[in-house]
Amino acid sequence: MLTSSRRQLLASGGMIIMLSVIAVFVATWFGPATERMLTVFFISLTAVVGIGVYSGNSGILSFGHVAFMGIGAYASSLLTVPAALKGATLPGLPTWLAAVELTLIPATLIAMVFTAVVALAVGAAISKLEGSAATIATLGLLIIVHGVIIGWRDVTRGAQSFFGVPRVTDLVTAAAFCVVALFLARLYRDSSSGLRLRAGRENAIAAGAVGVRIRWERLISFVLSAAIMALAGAMMAHFLGAFSPKKFYFNDTFLLLAMLIVGGMSTVTGAITGAVVITLVTEVLRRLESGFSIGVFDVPPIFGTAQIGIGLIILLAMFRKVDGLAGLKEWEERVLPRSTLLAPAALPPVGARDVLSGKGLTRQFGGLTAVDDVSIQILPGQIVGLIGPNGSGKTTLLNMLSGILTPTEGQILHGGRDLTGLSSPDIADQGIARTFQNIRLFANLTVYQNVLVAALSTHRGKDAVARAQTALDWLDVMKHAAADAGTLSYGDQRRVEIARALACQPQVLFLDEPAAGMNREETDALMEILRRLSADLGISVLLVDHDLELINQLSDRIMVLNEGRMIAQGSPKEIRRNKAVIEAYLGTGRENEN
Amino acid sequence: MKHLILTSAIVAAFAAPVGAETLTIGTATAQTGGLAYADVPTMQGMKLAIDEINAAGGIDGATKIALLEKDVRSDPAQTSIAAQELADAGVSVIVLPGDSDPALAAIGVVSSAKIPAISTVASSPTLPQIGGDYMFSNFPGDNVQAAVSAKWAWDEGYKTAWIVYSPDTQYTTMPLYFRDVFKKLGGEMLGESTNTIGQQDFSAIATTIAAQDPQPDLVMTSAYEPDFPSMLIALRAAGVTSQVIGSDGIDSPTTFSLGDVGEDVVFTTAGFAIKGSPLEAFDKAFEQKYGSAPESIYSAVGYDLIKVIEAAVIVAGSTDPTKIRDAMADLENVQGATGLITYKGTNGMPVRQVSLIRVKDGGRELVGQPSPDANLIPAPRMQ
Repeated sequence: MLTSSRRQLLASGGMIIMLSVIAVFVATWFGPATERMLTVFFISLTAVVGIGVYSGNSGILSFGHVAFMGIGAYASSLLTVPAALKGATLPGLPTWLAAVELTLIPATLIAMVFTAVVALAVGAAISKLEGSAATIATLGLLIIVHGVIIGWRDVTRGAQSFFGVPRVTDLVTAAAFCVVALFLARLYRDSSSGLRLRAGRENAIAAGAVGVRIRWERLISFVLSAAIMALAGAMMAHFLGAFSPKKFYFNDTFLLLAMLIVGGMSTVTGAITGAVVITLVTEVLRRLESGFSIGVFDVPPIFGTAQIGIGLIILLAMFRKVDGLAGLKEWEERVLPRSTLLAPAALPPVGARDVLSGKGLTRQFGGLTAVDDVSIQILPGQIVGLIGPNGSGKTTLLNMLSGILTPTEGQILHGGRDLTGLSSPDIADQGIARTFQNIRLFANLTVYQNVLVAALSTHRGKDAVARAQTALDWLDVMKHAAADAGTLSYGDQRRVEIARALACQPQVLFLDEPAAGMNREETDALMEILRRLSADLGISVLLVDHDLELINQLSDRIMVLNEGRMIAQGSPKEIRRNKAVIEAYLGTGRENEN
Repeated sequence: MKHLILTSAIVAAFAAPVGAETLTIGTATAQTGGLAYADVPTMQGMKLAIDEINAAGGIDGATKIALLEKDVRSDPAQTSIAAQELADAGVSVIVLPGDSDPALAAIGVVSSAKIPAISTVASSPTLPQIGGDYMFSNFPGDNVQAAVSAKWAWDEGYKTAWIVYSPDTQYTTMPLYFRDVFKKLGGEMLGESTNTIGQQDFSAIATTIAAQDPQPDLVMTSAYEPDFPSMLIALRAAGVTSQVIGSDGIDSPTTFSLGDVGEDVVFTTAGFAIKGSPLEAFDKAFEQKYGSAPESIYSAVGYDLIKVIEAAVIVAGSTDPTKIRDAMADLENVQGATGLITYKGTNGMPVRQVSLIRVKDGGRELVGQPSPDANLIPAPRMQ
């Protein structure tokens, strides 16, 4: 499913085709050398966008993708080199492979599938790693694949030139394949998988809490991007006609990453911008460094300026535009923003049917017991307030109930199902949604996308658009639908976070300090919304807040934590009179001073 | 931006006017990147030759040489683009980088433009074979070096041999050519070992050879730094006393600083500056132009490259690329800085005099400068 408007995708696709056609015509007019330059440009752009599909959407920089380019180059070439030549140059090749002689397109498709299978195996391991650990692992991938290609002499000719590959990648072929790669990347970015992965990039914990299985999404993008890299590799092999493992190693990795980073990792617009800028600058410098004359002065050749130029562009981009020249948005997202007026769709309430209970929950961090043997019960449709001084274990309890932390001891039951030890996406899928004490929105996604991700990732994405719209409507943030979540006021961000949780169509909603930072009027409005959630939709709510007025007015029942233990629970009236609660909040007076 | 590209193209065209009295040589070589170690000194030698020829009034006193230089950053794709630009600029000869990959990537361009191309120092004899009619090499081929060292060994009375080679690169399989020639001459191969490039420990290979009874008369390898010194030390430590024969890859200061272990090692290389030789004259002229002695034999080989083109233009009587190609393929005994160079009867791979050097008291001693016997040179190996 695609999550952006058809208008944007058509604009993007139309622009890609138009620019490619213009470029091809201009290059043809300039002559064969420019055609070659542009062919290499299209191959590089395919590779850049291939890395971008993974690195841009997941936020994990990959040094290893050029390895997939190498695998694609060797795999496709083994299928297209004439059988007679293979007999002479690769005598150790298995007979079935030695006899194969395919044309470019079938060979490329097979190479892409083969590379995707390799990427599936590698990605299954790498997707478990986070941040810089994943980046270093991709570096390992590059080195290992390089070593395997050199060592597997019977198939690859080792470190020697692999030659005799038909030179069939011409300008038009490269342009056509590149357009295909750009389409794939653009569609993936706004597919539900791409949107989920971007949500995970913005905030992994929040993404998990709304049902995003981030490793799985990373794996999908890893495999897709590897297939695109294989496409670039196959084109490069059939452009050069001869290559060796060193073509697919650090030099090209550096160049492609430079393009990606300068342009902006997270968009197709960025990939194109980066590839164009770096190519133009190197082309101009390259022509100047061969020496030229200004009037009577002859400037002698000075080689090496192209690399220095690339280095300077990277520095400049990092100083002026950290997210790359194109930033975090596609051009069409800026020019043609999604209409803010979405027709709100009303969905029938689901309502809570099941009791959520935690029994004897304990969580230790090293020697510290943050939560100690706490039992909690939330009845359907009830609003339960959870209070306690700072550090009393409220958020830890919430994190256990929502699957972000696994209890050291104890059990969590929802209806008849045991939820103990389930991951946060699984918990979300069980109808338990939450917000966070420190707002965890997907800051660079629009408000609509924030909410849509949650709807797409729960209940198998059924009626996702309608659920997202209903949730926006409920929290009265529809007017901000097209704005980036990170640009909203504090109170609006709180509301969007609740809308996002609501879009999961939950039975139980955990709200961690929803009124923090709100003024009295905003708090009152929020209180009204929460009351209706419980009354009209029948959702159970577990509410953590320091605003005792809010808690007192809303809660059916209040539980009090102190130093990890439950010290009291009951109706608001009972709690107000409870001696232990008063001591915990106000101190015990003279007794303690002695 | 389009204007900029256009302007710089026009500038480039003006900088190197193509006329009847000028021969334009286009260079698409690796002035930066991993291959610069070879192509930069080669270019220095080329420029020295061009300056000399132009100072004397040009080729045959009539045709001046102009250079159109492009840096390909040691990258095959850039080589293919640069070669096309040179072809479009109408150059008569194209000089390509000293490695098979980038040189091969330009084949499509040079064969369809019908412009002769010469790789600076690529020594794989398969390059001109795959490259077709318009691809020439300049450096002594691996098979030529092996033929020279095998013949010398046989003439010295060595009857049994052992080779150590690495299938990792074309160059490190030179001992396989040696094996073929040595057997053809009547020698006996006692065995062969393989290593990987960058191998840390050669003791297993050394022990195997030491355990032979009797030990082979000679051990031949084309390993180079850092493999060659470790291999040599391991062999001597294991008690192998056989003559060790190497190739031009070990023609570096390291080999002469190994002390006792390095003594008596014999290797083949492109040239040796004996008194009164053209190479000695070249070294002097080089020092005069650049202020320091050439850092490697590559500079002399670059000088030779221009001398070959000069000879071809004289024979062709024209700067027409096809005529130059035909003349070049037929050249015989061109006098270069390193010796005599012949292309006639080969497939674009030059037959050059090869110098045999022995390490003596930490210095170099000339063993001989034989012209290789064409009948002994093995056919290029594709694998």
